[in-house]
Amino acid sequence: MRKTTMADSKINLKQFANAPGQLVRLDQSQFLPLPPPYDKLDLEPKLKPLSEEAREKYESDLDGVVTIKYPRPETEEEKQKLVEQFLAGLKKLFEKENNWTFLQPLFLTMEYCAKCQTCSKACPIYNESGRLDIYRPTYRADILRRLYKKYVKNGGKFFAKISGNDIDVTWRMIARLMELSYRCTICRRCAQTCPIGADNGLVTRELRKIFSQEMGINIDPLHKKGSVLQLKVGSSTGMAPEPFLDNIEFLEEEVEDRTGMKFKWPMDKAGADILLIHNAGEFLAWPENPEAFAIILEAAGINYTLSSDLVGYDSVNYGVWYDDVQFAKVAVKHAEVAKKLGVKKIVLGECGHAHKALTVIADRVFTGEFNIPRESSLTLINEIIKEGRLKLDPSRNDDITVTLHDPCNVVRLMGIVKPQREIIRAVCNHFREMTPHGVRNYCCGGGSGFAITQDLNFPEWREILSGRAKLRQILNVFQDIIGPEHKKYVCAPCSNCKGAMRDMFAAYGLFEKCNILYGGLVELVVNAMTDFDKPYIEWEWH
Amino acid sequence: MGGFQTIFYISILFFIVMLVLKMAKIARMPLHLRWDLYPIPHEKGKGEYGGSYFEDADWWTKPANSSMFSELKEMAKEIIFIQSLFNNNRFLWIFSFPFHFGMYCLIGFIFLLVFGAILAAAGIGISGASTSGLAVVVYHLTVIIGTIGWILAIVGALGLLICRLFWGEIHKSTVRSDYSNLLFLLAVFVAGFVSWLTVDPGYSILRGFVRNLITFKAIGTLPTAVTVQLWVTAALLFYYPFTHMTHLFGKYFTYHWIRWEDSPNVRGGKIEKAVSSSLGFRQNWSAPHIKTGGTWAEAATDEENNNG
Repeated sequence: MRKTTMADSKINLKQFANAPGQLVRLDQSQFLPLPPPYDKLDLEPKLKPLSEEAREKYESDLDGVVTIKYPRPETEEEKQKLVEQFLAGLKKLFEKENNWTFLQPLFLTMEYCAKCQTCSKACPIYNESGRLDIYRPTYRADILRRLYKKYVKNGGKFFAKISGNDIDVTWRMIARLMELSYRCTICRRCAQTCPIGADNGLVTRELRKIFSQEMGINIDPLHKKGSVLQLKVGSSTGMAPEPFLDNIEFLEEEVEDRTGMKFKWPMDKAGADILLIHNAGEFLAWPENPEAFAIILEAAGINYTLSSDLVGYDSVNYGVWYDDVQFAKVAVKHAEVAKKLGVKKIVLGECGHAHKALTVIADRVFTGEFNIPRESSLTLINEIIKEGRLKLDPSRNDDITVTLHDPCNVVRLMGIVKPQREIIRAVCNHFREMTPHGVRNYCCGGGSGFAITQDLNFPEWREILSGRAKLRQILNVFQDIIGPEHKKYVCAPCSNCKGAMRDMFAAYGLFEKCNILYGGLVELVVNAMTDFDKPYIEWEWH
Repeated sequence: MGGFQTIFYISILFFIVMLVLKMAKIARMPLHLRWDLYPIPHEKGKGEYGGSYFEDADWWTKPANSSMFSELKEMAKEIIFIQSLFNNNRFLWIFSFPFHFGMYCLIGFIFLLVFGAILAAAGIGISGASTSGLAVVVYHLTVIIGTIGWILAIVGALGLLICRLFWGEIHKSTVRSDYSNLLFLLAVFVAGFVSWLTVDPGYSILRGFVRNLITFKAIGTLPTAVTVQLWVTAALLFYYPFTHMTHLFGKYFTYHWIRWEDSPNVRGGKIEKAVSSSLGFRQNWSAPHIKTGGTWAEAATDEENNNG
């Protein structure tokens, strides 16, 4: 366990609000050690300090890591404006007209947290950092709670003083809080253990909402290059409908090359049973995944379609992590596309947050004919296998030892636990579970938008810290066969998780050193199909 | 009727009214977006491993398969044994469990006192030597449950106070009101325990007080220890509704209305009606990508402000 240092003990809320300069300096030697072959600190990648230029340009006074790229306020007017805007947003967060979407859960969390710190024990980032106080789940929640009690509740200024909840809002506090709201993956492991039912993951999201919905401050990968681009161009990848269709043609050819199967992928087919929506990142970064879907659905004779309509070919909905309005806009677009095609249901490809966004959260956005049934592809593929529609031989995967990563959004936040396991057991003979797994899993480290945030030194922070618990799990589950002579596969049925793993594996050299590859679930299924001569999974780093 | 008696009536009334208002405020908040968290115990056959109806193909075509028994079982484990703390924060549970269980005993003790007082008002004397079997049972139960309650609650409250004072992580986030809540409760428990120990071993004085309260008869002179106990209790009744200690009631909402709330939105159903109503709220968020002043339905379908 991390020893409390002088620097740590000084991080009280007054200093958070007022102390100039960088509040915390990350010390990797204090992080929880990893298992072999990364059991020595010098075998790990290092967090790079920000360049002088970036340090001068952007607000980085929390921990020297930057996600938001918020320019340092120069004048007193700018500082004052920051405070005023924040307080205006804070008040709106507790008004039913402005925040009917999450008012009740937020209010309950603000009122009832007993500060027992049970949540702290569940938080991977806090624990892996060696219990660095600013990463404690209740740390940011305590700040928001005090601000709420002082600035939102009736008589707050008086009662805050006598109850000990007094806190002065300063521009420094807001600038630090801005960054701090991007040091939590919203995996909600903390909420799962809370005896009272308070939700510090939600606090992170609500803080991000103040910044985004009131102040227009958010991170580019989620907003400008995320939901805004998606609504404007059609996909957060920047891929417009035309290039998407070209891409599909290319993938059709690639499937033919790899498997010998020649078929057109159903596109914009009105009256199909299913509208299948992938995370569009798959088409560009991991095309073998949508290709595997196409192969399975074609082989099983499923009446489905893809869509080339704006937003209809990209299931991502980044609003789920920072902004209710953006969330609703994208969800409505998805429903509009399905309604236009007249499908019976929408099926979501291997993308965790898209599952949660469209199937669960948007369930209370859709009304009338927009409320089209939504389902996970994990369920669909499992049904196809159970019905015996595919010719499978699990021994075709015998050269690989497989473990399963549970995407938080699919498992803890949606309760889909068994189908993916039934699929793996049907197509692999060598499967082993990580500890813990299922609804008690650890986040990949890329949750809440982290996987797509590639600016400045944030990727290194993610690789060495937010994904650290997952890395430990992966190394532990394969510890007895950790050498490169054994092929090991981390099955991650989620685009964001794969993105986080890609970067983390690359940073640690996991493929070269340990022969551990990551990939989706359907690839394993196609790899077990007896229709093809060659293995489907190409065992190489990409 | 004396001033103290009036104050005690007011404190009880205040406690009830404020608590009802607070819970009503929560209950009247608009239906939030779904934010369920697994495992959900009422998922029949799936709750134990954290599964949900989303695991079933075409789940919307199948009848809801929910088990009230599993939910009640989980609730009992959580309410009585504070299971989540036991599983995730064992050291704190060592104090939190007796603290809460002691308070449950004391709530039972209050009901027994009231029941005994009603019997007494009906002419059935409550004592260990009573000719009425019921009176003897009530007498002994009151003594046993009440005394266990005081002791457990005192031990638990002291333990929690020590944790707040000396346990780093907890201490860091503890504020004055957290200490005052515990100290307030501790004062009530200690006062009750001292009364029992010094002047009221069978709780007959306290029962007499309750009998006079419910029959609106004047209260005579009480021993100092009992008077102190009652004053502290009245003060707590005034204080309690303003504190996070009302989580005893608020927890119902966090579990049943949020964490375990997985009812799907069915066309033409109650949820759809609530959602439609909320989509009509006018929001005034100020960021450039939002159509400020429009309804939520307008904001969700707005094409003009999509440039960030």
